[in-house]
Amino acid sequence: MAEVINDTSITKIKVQKSLSPWAVARRKFLRNKLAMVSLFFLMTVSILSFLAPYITTADITRVNIGSMSLTPSSEHWFGTDKSGRDVFTRLLYGGRVSLLVGISCTLLIITFGTLIGALAGFFGGIVDALLMRFTDFILNFPLLVFVIVLNAVFFGKLGGVPVLIAVISVLGWGGVARLVRSKILSEKENEYILAAISIGSRPAKVIMKHLLPNVLSTIIVQATLTFAAMIVVESGLSYLGFGVPAETPSWGNMLAASREPDVLQNMPWIWIPPALTLVITILSINFIGEGIKDALNPKSLR
Amino acid sequence: MLKYTLRRILGMIPMLLLISIVVFSLALSMPGDPFGGEIDPNNTDPQYIEEMREKAGLNDPVHVQYGRWISNFMQGDFGESTRYKMPVAELIGERMPNTLFLGITSLVITYILAFVMGMYAGRKPYTTADNLIGGVNYLGLAVPSYIAGVFAIYFFSFKLGWFPFSGSVDITLQNGSFEYYLSRLHHVFLPAIVLGALGTASYTQFLRNDIIESSRKDYVRTARAKGTPETKIYNKHILRNSIIPLITFLGFDIVTLISGAIITEAIFTYPGIGQLFLDSINNRDYPVMMTLTMMFSFLVLFGNMIADLLYGIVDPRIRVD
Repeated sequence: MAEVINDTSITKIKVQKSLSPWAVARRKFLRNKLAMVSLFFLMTVSILSFLAPYITTADITRVNIGSMSLTPSSEHWFGTDKSGRDVFTRLLYGGRVSLLVGISCTLLIITFGTLIGALAGFFGGIVDALLMRFTDFILNFPLLVFVIVLNAVFFGKLGGVPVLIAVISVLGWGGVARLVRSKILSEKENEYILAAISIGSRPAKVIMKHLLPNVLSTIIVQATLTFAAMIVVESGLSYLGFGVPAETPSWGNMLAASREPDVLQNMPWIWIPPALTLVITILSINFIGEGIKDALNPKSLR
Repeated sequence: MLKYTLRRILGMIPMLLLISIVVFSLALSMPGDPFGGEIDPNNTDPQYIEEMREKAGLNDPVHVQYGRWISNFMQGDFGESTRYKMPVAELIGERMPNTLFLGITSLVITYILAFVMGMYAGRKPYTTADNLIGGVNYLGLAVPSYIAGVFAIYFFSFKLGWFPFSGSVDITLQNGSFEYYLSRLHHVFLPAIVLGALGTASYTQFLRNDIIESSRKDYVRTARAKGTPETKIYNKHILRNSIIPLITFLGFDIVTLISGAIITEAIFTYPGIGQLFLDSINNRDYPVMMTLTMMFSFLVLFGNMIADLLYGIVDPRIRVD
């Protein structure tokens, strides 16, 4: 946090000079209380999750018959689940998996979607037609249905988190590609692109150096929204039993315990922590996204 | 318009063929024989299995198998469920009314909520109530349906005992009686609320923004100048203009309802198509799984087409390209 405060003091001194667009955006974002609180929450959750092995000592995999379904106490903060595993510990480990799946899918989807969208938008013509038909084709697959089917295909052969990430990403990039294409299409009409092309810049350079930086703000906002959506997808699939393998804790898997009416009715401490953590995490990411969108929009007043 | 519609419908055909190829290859790459439903699993005699495989055509080249499957499929023969031992078409026909009932009820709930909230917020923008509606909508957009569903069951079924938490009807009741239909409505209410309330946000915000925009237009000023009562201006003049763009949402609703139905039916153990789909995956009931996957893909394609066509009706400029 110390660095962040330092940053604002520096930008305040430079106010007279007129700020760079990024500095303006950063200042707007730092003033957005909701976004800052969300960012703080998200960072806390991430740090706690990724340091889970150092914070907690309880074993998450061992079934402990002696301490089954205990109510919350000073020893087990959120109680234990039906197999006697500490809910708090599982929550932290679950966060690792859920956030990891979310981030990996987002990175893959954004990278691939941007690549396809940029190529289609920049080259136009036959390249555009082919790539966009392919994108339409991908977009026509109902994501949830096909992830479930693909998971059944890989069942037993290749399982686990990497396959889940790959499957979600392969089916999920269509929307980003369309968005980036439309942004590139309108951006490339500008004179500076014509200038760059006429002095002989290669297409790769025009796209990387001139076009992408100018659509970056859209991509960043889209990335935060995708991140939230991917966490929803992962935990939804895990809840249905088609996501992360059951033995790996994830927020969705923990929530899946509530599919037993007995747990749902009588042991709320098992499913309320993952449910609330999920809701607050998703809300935080959305608030951060809105904050970034607001900050990067030169027309917004704040 | 007719030309545009025809072009869109014809455009669907190659897409459907491609999807059918993908679905077929997925089924082929699954563990076990996808079309071996007729083979008696208790008879392990290799010669018998080989005979049955030959009879079922599983030794034919892949493209022949695909051709047979797709031509049967086009004629409405979806094969036989390996688990329920009945034609897939019948099985789906049995479950379909439940899902349709859930979908329609949730759409009605969405419309009622969205209209009440959207019209109020549009009429009194930037007030506390408008902000509250905006906040609730934001929550509805962010909270996943399974979490809302789990909390709904916990509070309304277990704590308050208002609604049943599973099934589609009280099985002790006789089919056709008044209580039977009442019980169905009672069972569908909670899942439909969860599915419907979460879809409200986009409608409400669209209606609100459109009403605010319309209320600054000239025809509204004219109406005001004539001394038309404010209520009439909002409920008649503005609403009529703001509803038209809303119909384009209908196409996307079909898409949302599919994925919504799968998750909601799983939470509430509601015996519909979504539940059947998950069961068919768990039980490796390939004919059912393939038919439903094709059906869902077709519905998505169909929903997108409906959305495009409705856009074309609402905004004629779109038809040109």
